[in-house]
Amino acid sequence: MGLGTAIQAFFAALFNRQKAERIRAALSEQSKSNPIGLPDKPVEPSKPPKPAAPTRNDALTLLSTLQREARLVDLICEPLDSFSDVQIGAAAREVLRDSKKALDRMFAIAPLSDIEEGDKLSIPADHSPSKLRLVGQAQGQSGTVVHRGWKANRCELPSWQGDKSDSMILAPTEVEVS
Amino acid sequence: MTQRFSIGIDLGTTNCVLAYSDLQVESANVRLLKLTQFVAPSQTEAREGLPSFLYIPSDPESQSGAFDIPDHASYPTVNGAYARDVSAEQPDRTIAAAKSWLCHAGVDRHAAILPWGSGDEVTKFSPVMASRLLLRQMVDAWDTRYPEHPLSGQMVTLTVPASFDMAARELTREAAVGAGLPKDFILLEEPVAAVYHWLEKSGDGWRKRAKEGDHLLVCDVGGGTTDLTLVRVEQEQGELTLRRLAVGNHLLVGGDNMDLALAHFVTQRFMEKGVKLNPWQSISLWHSCRRAKESLLAVDGRETETISVLGRGSRLIGGTVSVEVSRQEVQQLLVDGFFPMCSSDAQPNRAPSTGFHELGLPFEPDTAVTHHIASFLSLNQIASSSRLSLLLNGGVFKSAALQERIQQVIGSWSAEPVELLSEPEDLDFAVARGAAHYGWAKQSGGVRVRGGTARSYYVGIESSGLAVPGMPRPLQAVCVVPFGMEEGTQADVPGREVGLVVGRPAKFRFFSSAIRKEDTVGQTLRYWDDEELVETSPMELTLDVSDAPEEGFVPVRFQSHITELGILELWCKSTRDEQRWKLEFNVREEAEASGT
Repeated sequence: MGLGTAIQAFFAALFNRQKAERIRAALSEQSKSNPIGLPDKPVEPSKPPKPAAPTRNDALTLLSTLQREARLVDLICEPLDSFSDVQIGAAAREVLRDSKKALDRMFAIAPLSDIEEGDKLSIPADHSPSKLRLVGQAQGQSGTVVHRGWKANRCELPSWQGDKSDSMILAPTEVEVS
Repeated sequence: MTQRFSIGIDLGTTNCVLAYSDLQVESANVRLLKLTQFVAPSQTEAREGLPSFLYIPSDPESQSGAFDIPDHASYPTVNGAYARDVSAEQPDRTIAAAKSWLCHAGVDRHAAILPWGSGDEVTKFSPVMASRLLLRQMVDAWDTRYPEHPLSGQMVTLTVPASFDMAARELTREAAVGAGLPKDFILLEEPVAAVYHWLEKSGDGWRKRAKEGDHLLVCDVGGGTTDLTLVRVEQEQGELTLRRLAVGNHLLVGGDNMDLALAHFVTQRFMEKGVKLNPWQSISLWHSCRRAKESLLAVDGRETETISVLGRGSRLIGGTVSVEVSRQEVQQLLVDGFFPMCSSDAQPNRAPSTGFHELGLPFEPDTAVTHHIASFLSLNQIASSSRLSLLLNGGVFKSAALQERIQQVIGSWSAEPVELLSEPEDLDFAVARGAAHYGWAKQSGGVRVRGGTARSYYVGIESSGLAVPGMPRPLQAVCVVPFGMEEGTQADVPGREVGLVVGRPAKFRFFSSAIRKEDTVGQTLRYWDDEELVETSPMELTLDVSDAPEEGFVPVRFQSHITELGILELWCKSTRDEQRWKLEFNVREEAEASGT
C-alpha cells in the first residue's frame, strides 16, 4: 500500500499544484492521527461455499486474457486506415510483446523441430502428417527444413467461474468515477 | 503423523513463493507449487508466485460473487495477480508491501491501518493480518493440492529478512500460526536461504573452491527492499563450515525505486515534446518503464528503446504516444544512480533528500546501494586482502549491467578478483527453494550455515541515584543476548536484581545492536552512540496478584532463551524460587510513544 500511494501521490504532486498542497497538508496531519488499536478482522470464511460454476468456452477465456494482459482485441478491432505505419508499429510493439508474455506463460510455445531452418532432416518412413508437412517431391528420404513448426508444451488457461450470462464478455466497460 | 514434505515459504515484500521437496528421498527434489489466484473477476489461474498484494473489494463487488471460488470458502480480500494489477489504479483499496509494515516500529502493527491513508468506506487490516491472509492463501493452495498431507503436518520453513528484529519475527510467527502453519515451523533468514539454494546447486563443489577465511557477501535487492548478509568459511575439526557473520539494516530501497526513477525521467521527455500524461497514463508508463529497463540493461540489449504509452480507450493506436530513450541514458540513470562507483570508505547519505519518505514507510534517503554495501563491509572490518565472493539475489539483477557493475565496484575495493556465484535463473525463486532444501538438509544431515543471533540485545534500566528535576534518570543498557547466541541455548543474565511490582505492568525499553559484537551477557553499558544501539519495541510483563509475595514485589534476574526456531524469549526469573515469567513485546506501546 505504502508504495502504491507514494507513487500516486508522487505523480499527483508532479502534475497538480492543488494536489501537491493537499499531500503536504496530509503529511503534517499524519503524525497527529495515529491509529489506535482496532481489533483484527476475522480471516475465517464469512460466506458458505459457492456451488460449482458453469463453464464457458476456453476460446473466450483466451481472448479475454489476451485483451486484459496485452490489449490484443483493441488492436485488432481498430480501423487502420487513418494511421501511419509508424503509429501502428509503436502500438503493435507493446501489444505483441505483452501477447507473447501471456502466451508463453499459458502454452510454453516452442519450435516443434530441433533442426534449424535451412539444415537437412531425414524423413522417417512412418512419419505423421501432423508433424511433418512435405513440400515438393513427396518420395524423398531427406529434405531441408523451411519452417520448424510450433508446439505448445502446456495448456493452462485461467479458469472461469462467473455467471452464464456474463460468459460472452471479453472486457468490462471501464468507467472513471468522478 | 510423519512428515512427508519439506515446505519452504518465501513471504516476500512484492511476491510470495512456495517450494517443496519430498523428505524421504536421497537427494532433495525441490519443486514450486503453483498458487491459484484471481487474475480478473470470475477468473482464476495457477501461477508460480503470489504477488504480495491484497485488494479489498467493495460491497457490491463481493456480493456479486465474482471473487468467490467454487466449492471454496471466500476470503475477505482478493490476493495476488489481480490485486497487483489494480493496485496502481485503486491504491485506496489495495494493500502492498505488508511485510515492510511488519517491521516498521513507528506504527501499531496489530491495528487495522492498511491500506494506509484510505478512507473510512474501506475495510482495513493490520500488517499482521495482511501477512496472515497471504499465508493463508498459500496454506489453502497446498491443502487443495495435497489433501492427504495437510501443510500443518509437514516440516515448514518460512523465510524472513535477516534484518528483521525479534519483534518483527514474533509478529511473523503470530501471522503464520494464525494462517495454519504448524506451531513448530522454522524461521530462516532469506539471504541464508539463498546460500542453501546455492549449496544445493553446487553440491560438494564449494568445498573444493572455498578456503578457510573466505567471505561470501549475499546481496538481495528485491522490489522494495535491500538486505545484506556476510558469511565466512571456517574450519572445524578439519571440515569446512559456513558461519553467518553479520547482517545489515533493513533498507527500503529496491527495484521499484529504479522503475520510478526511469518513469520520472521519461515523463520529462514527454513534457519536452509537449505531451502531458494524465495519472492513468503515468501508471501505464511505470509498467512500460519496468520492461524497458530490463531490455535496455540486458547483455545484448538494443541501443535505443521506444517507450510507448497506449491510448486509454478502445482507440488504442490513435491514443498511443511514444518517446525514445537510449541505452546510455538509462545506464547512466540507473547504474550510476543506484550502483555508483565509490570508494570502500563511502558512507550512505543519511539526510533526507525529498519529502518522499514521510509517506508511511521510512524509505531510504540514499538510494545508492553501493554506499550501503561499502559501509556494511567496513563496519564488519572486511579487509581488502580477504577473498570475497558475491551471491546476488532478487529480480533486479536480471539485468546484466547491474550484475557487472556491482561486481566491478566491490572488485575495486579488493586486492583479489570478486567471484560471482549466482546464476541468472535463480533470482526469483532461490529463497523459497533454499528454504525447502534447508528443511530437507536438517533432516538428512546436509551442510548447515551456522549463525546464531545477528544482533546483540539489551534491556534498558533506569539507574538509581539522585533524581534531578526535569531530567530523565540516566539509562543503562544491560546485554541479555550476546551477538551470535546460538539457537537452542539459554543464558542467565548475571548482575543486579530488578524488583517487579505486582499488578502493575513492568515495562522495559529494549535495544538491539548489529555493531557491538564483543559484549557479553550481563555487560552494562552506561554510554553509547546513537548509531550503536537501536531501540526496538519495548517488552512488558504484568505479574498477577496470585504470584505475589507479601512485599508486593518480586526480585528477579533476566534469563534469555533463543529457541530452536530462532525466536527470542526473555524471562524474568525469581531469585527466591524457581518461578519465572515471560516478557512479551509490546508493539502498541511504542506506536503511541512515537505518535506523540
